[in-house]
Parts: sequence; structure tokens; C-alpha cells
Amino acid sequence: MAINIGSPCNTALLLFILYSVQKIVFPSASPPKEIPHEFRNGYSWLPKYHQPTVLFKTYTPKTLEPFHGNDNGRILLAIDGTVFDVTAGRNFYGPNGMYGNFAGRDASRGMAKQSFDAEMLTPVDQPLDKLTDLQPDEIENMKGWIEHFSNKYIICGKLVENDAV
Amino acid sequence: MALSVSNLLVTDDLTIFLGLIAGTVFLLRTFYRPQPLVHPILLGRQSEVARVRNPGESAVYRNYGTGLMNRFPIRPHKDVQVLSDLLRPDQDSQRTLWNTKISNAALQDRVASFGTGILRLAGLRSQESNVLILLNDCIEFLIADLALSSHSIPSMTLTAPHLLSPILDTHPPSAIITQAEFLPTLLELIYDAGEEGKHHTIIVVGEPSHSVMASVASKVKILVWADVEREGFKVEKIMSPLPKPADVFSVSFFSDSNGQIQGTQLTHANVTAGVAAIHALFPVSSMLSTLDTIISSHSLGGTYGRAVAYTALFEGASFATMTSSKLFRIDEVTVKQDVADILSAQLHAIPSATILFLKPSHLETLVDAILREAKKSFLLNAFAWRHKIADIAEGFVSKDTLWDRLVYDGARARVIGEGAGTVRTVIVGEGLLPAKVVMPARVALSCPVINALTHPAVVGPVLATNALDLQNFTKLEESANHSLALVGPPTVSIEAKLLGVDDTAIEEGGEDPTGTLNVRGPPVTRLLAGDEMDTSASGYVNVHAGESAVDEDAWTNLGVRIKVHTNGSFRVVA
Repeated sequence: MAINIGSPCNTALLLFILYSVQKIVFPSASPPKEIPHEFRNGYSWLPKYHQPTVLFKTYTPKTLEPFHGNDNGRILLAIDGTVFDVTAGRNFYGPNGMYGNFAGRDASRGMAKQSFDAEMLTPVDQPLDKLTDLQPDEIENMKGWIEHFSNKYIICGKLVENDAV
Repeated sequence: MALSVSNLLVTDDLTIFLGLIAGTVFLLRTFYRPQPLVHPILLGRQSEVARVRNPGESAVYRNYGTGLMNRFPIRPHKDVQVLSDLLRPDQDSQRTLWNTKISNAALQDRVASFGTGILRLAGLRSQESNVLILLNDCIEFLIADLALSSHSIPSMTLTAPHLLSPILDTHPPSAIITQAEFLPTLLELIYDAGEEGKHHTIIVVGEPSHSVMASVASKVKILVWADVEREGFKVEKIMSPLPKPADVFSVSFFSDSNGQIQGTQLTHANVTAGVAAIHALFPVSSMLSTLDTIISSHSLGGTYGRAVAYTALFEGASFATMTSSKLFRIDEVTVKQDVADILSAQLHAIPSATILFLKPSHLETLVDAILREAKKSFLLNAFAWRHKIADIAEGFVSKDTLWDRLVYDGARARVIGEGAGTVRTVIVGEGLLPAKVVMPARVALSCPVINALTHPAVVGPVLATNALDLQNFTKLEESANHSLALVGPPTVSIEAKLLGVDDTAIEEGGEDPTGTLNVRGPPVTRLLAGDEMDTSASGYVNVHAGESAVDEDAWTNLGVRIKVHTNGSFRVVA
């Protein structure tokens, strides 16, 4: 059998073999130009963004009110001076949710009395509800809700009086 | 046309032959790639980040393995509550500590004898006296530490020799333990301090010379260590009530970055948490065991060195330290931290070292020496380097490859000596490692190199890289002008946050948070209050070995500027 590498198939195969062997014997030793943002694209990779974090802010009833979620924005509500980010519970606290009244408002009284009526809310331009007329068991109930919210949602701020800021 | 197409596709036996070779080569290239030691997806999320952050601060970061919800591991084993529990009674194998081959039971006996002896002969009282340990690293240091802690007598240690005279002034001890060589220097200092009527008791390790003994003043009582141990051995052992994990058993004095002298109180819980943290540095496939030999360049007077020594004790490994960790010398020589220093630890009667705890200068000189030796076989080294770098780029490194056998094993043996083949992990701490040393170190040592951030106020490492992390960010480091290597995420029992970050930059989302590192967690010790240290003339500041009220919310500012990358690993920035 004459060694006839002249035929195109053989040439192609030979070139392929030479190329692969070259890659095995002389592997590339320079790091990639760009740091990949996916682990599939390279071993030395970095995610593109940091994990999102929420800045702990001080809210007043007026500044809390815009976060009612009607505009697909964040939904916040406050219980006993602690503001929770309940955007994850849009089904409950969004505009069409069962508890939609609470979005953007101080829900302390409603949580204590286990009621979602509008009369549980104080208007935003008035001082915060002092909750002095609540019974001990209602205070207990409210604390239980605070516990539930702390576990399920993010605490992202505190609520103070309108003129305290 | 048909003719030319069939001419093009003419095949013969050679084609089949070449086709088989091509197929084999292709399969080789595709499937014989080295597997990364740790999956890169895990390296993209090394810290668990809190969802909320306070203004001016970054979020709180914890190790991803610990998570935000879980409690910190505070002991390496559930039965280890106080320091003496670190000597496990169920381990009965002998191991060598410096030059002494000893088992846990025998060591426990020596500790009990010394404890009893020192209580009887030096007149110390539990919870009222305190002892200054001025020993270079040796087994007597550990025996003294364990004995004093079991009798609730707080000990004091120094991290640098120049702290001795200020501490003798501000915190005069009831007794001092020192070496025979250092005794004349110590006596000079005591006489210079010249407090009339103050009695000193000094316990000397080794045999003090007759001339020194003759010059001892009447107010100083000298006891020889061997006598103290013998005294305690022959009488019935004094049992003291068991200390509680939150009791302070030692105070370590160090000078911070401003030159101020600070003291930090170590509790039993701090040390057990530090041992757990060091234990967690090692991946499950290569954990510490009794077969290991640990050599350390960190002196036992500091918190990190103590954590390393107690880890060795707990794991039943052999242990020795290097010459540069000796603090109390009579000559003015500063030992250079280089390869000779590393080899000095091997001069002890320990088996060949497997785990090295080094400082950055040790690593730099070691890697330089190994690569220089490797370059002597010029052509092979060019291939070997290239292949090693290509393997590391895939996330794999090993000491068993062809290139190690051809080039690097020989180079390592010429530098480190016979024991070069046993080194299996290197941990760098107590210093700042330059970024450009990292890749050469991985090639030269071909074993996990862990870069850790340490601080005198924390027992054990604060931040440490993943042992199997081989990522290479040299392009990023060059473009952003980072000169120091990554130090990884917080260790398993530390939570960290940065103060003084730029809120607007972070909210925009483009910037990495940069600020001052603050930490909290079981291994973080409580500093002695600042004003206690400043009063040098007014009175005797007593260090009580009692319940130290741990302020759960207190963060300790370590004073290091840190930047956090998107994958949760930290980097020290200037």
C-alpha cells in the first residue's frame, strides 16, 4: 500500500490529528481575556452582580404609603414600628389581594384584632396609632404576626412619626 | 464532475487508519480533561449574604456552609467544652510534640502534676493569681497553659518581646514562667522596675546556671520546672472546680497597627471555636488525622498560633514550630522567615511534615526556591509549567502527575529535603500574601494552598479561601491594580460586615463594597477595655477568671480594609 497522503480525506484527517496532538502537547497557558460570568463558560468565573440587598430605611406613614404595589412596585407594610417587604406575597398584599388594604400602611391594629377592615388603618397624615386600647391577647396576636412576618419576609426598615425625620 | 467528486472522496486503508487515530485523539481530548477538584458553581457563591443592610454598612456575610439561619459551630466535637477536653482521652496513640513523644494520657498526667506542683510551691490561688508565660514554643508552654486553665488561674502571654516591660508595669503577675536562657534578662527587668517589697516567683524551664542563681535577690523566688512537676507528681492531685466555657483563661497582649498595646481575653469557648474553624478549613476528603504532622510558624503567644497548636493537640497530630516563632531570645538576631526557617521545624524529632502553617514570606521564598530548582531542567520545565497551568485553569491540581515525577518532585526534594513528598496542605496566615505568588505557589507545591486572614483578636482564621479553589483572576487583579491575593469568605464561625461603604455606589449595582472589616462570632475575643491599658501608674488591674459578660451584639473592628467580590470572597485592599 503506497503511502499516499495526497488524497483529500487522508490530508484532512492528518491535519485534524496534528491539530489535536498539538493542543494536547502544547495546551494554552494564558488566562482568558474576559472573566466569564457563567460557570459553564470557564472555571475562573465571577457572577455579574452581587446578591441584591435592601437598604434599611426609616419610613414615615407618608413615605410608606407609595409602596402599595398598585404600580407593580415593592409592597411594604408596617407592624409595630417594623417595616416588612412583602413583595413576595403579592397575592395577599397586592392590589387585588385579600389583605390589600394593608399595603403601604401601618397594619398593627389590624394584625392585633385579626381584622382587615379599612377602619383598622389610620390616615397617613395623622400620628401613628398608639395601640394603647388593645387587650393583652391582641398584643400577643400581633407579636405572633410579627414573628411570622420576620420569618417569611424581609425586615427592611422602621416606621416613625411624620415629623420625626 | 462526478469523477472529480469521487476522486475527492477516495478512501483506502490509510484513511481508516488515520480515521481511527483521529477518533481516539478526539475522544482523548474531549473526555480525558482533568476534573475540577471543586465544582465551579460552588465557587460562585462562597458567602451567604443577608438580605438587608444598614445605611453605611454592607450586608452581613457568613460562610455559605454555615448559612444565615444556622448557629455557629463552637466546638470541634460535642464533648469538648473547656480547654482540657481538647486532649481526647479516647486517643491513646503516641505523637511527637516538638521533641517529646507522648500520648494524651501521659500529657494529661504531666498537666495535672504541674498544676498541683505550681499551686503548692508557688502559692497560687485559683481565680486570684495570674501567671505570665514567657516561654518560647515548647511542650512546657502547652502544659502550663492547660494546667493553669484547669485551675482557673488566668495566664498572660505576649506576642512580641518589647511588650514585656510595659506589661510587667501594668499587669504585674503573681508568677512568671520562663526559660533558663532568658532568666538573666528577666531578672534585670525586675530589678530595674525596682518595686520595693514586691515578691516575684519565677519558674524556670531548664537548668539555670549557678552564676545566675547566685545573683538572685532575696525578693525573687526561683523554682525549677522539673522540681515543680516532681512535687506535683508525688502528692495527691489538687482538684479544682471545672471552669466554664465562658471563663477567661488567658490574656494575650499584642500591639496593634497604631503601636498601642492591647490585651485580649481568651475564653475556653473562643479556643474551641477556633479549633473548629481550623478543622473546617480542610475538605472532607483530606481532613486532619493522627497521621498528620503540623508545623507552624506562628508563636503560641498569639491567638492564631494557639489555635493551631490546640488543633494539633485535638487531632492527635505531631506538632512543632519554627525558629522564627521564638520570641524570647538573648541575642539580637532576627531570624529571616525563609526556607531555612521552615526546615528548622523539621529538625525536631517529628515525622515528616504534612501540613504547613506559614507566613507569606515563607511561602514566597519557598516557591521561588522550588521554581528556581525546577528551571534547571530547562526544556522539561517549560512543558511542565505549561501543563500545570493548563490543568489549574481547569480546576485540577495534583502531586501525582507525570510532570511532578519528571520535574517538580525533584525540585521540591532539593529544596525541602526528604520530606518534600508528604506536604499535603499549606496554610498562609499572619501576613498579607501578594496576588502574584498564588499561581506559582499552586504549581510549585501542587497541593491546596489556603490563604487566611488572621488578627490577634480572633482565635483562628477570620477569612480563609476554600482549600480546593484554584481560580485565577490575574487579569482582573492587573486591571484593577489589586496587589494582594483573595482571602476567601468568612470561616464557618465568623460573620463579617464592612463599615464605611459607599451606599450610592452599591445601590447602583456596579461597585464591589469596600470598607473596614468588622466581625462577630464565637472565636472573636473580647479586648480589654481601652482605658485599662492606658493606666500604667494607677494600681493593679486584675484580670478576673469569671463570667465575662458577652455582649451578643458587639462587633469587633479589625481595622482592615476589605473589598467583597460578587462571588462572596473577600480581598484585602490597601
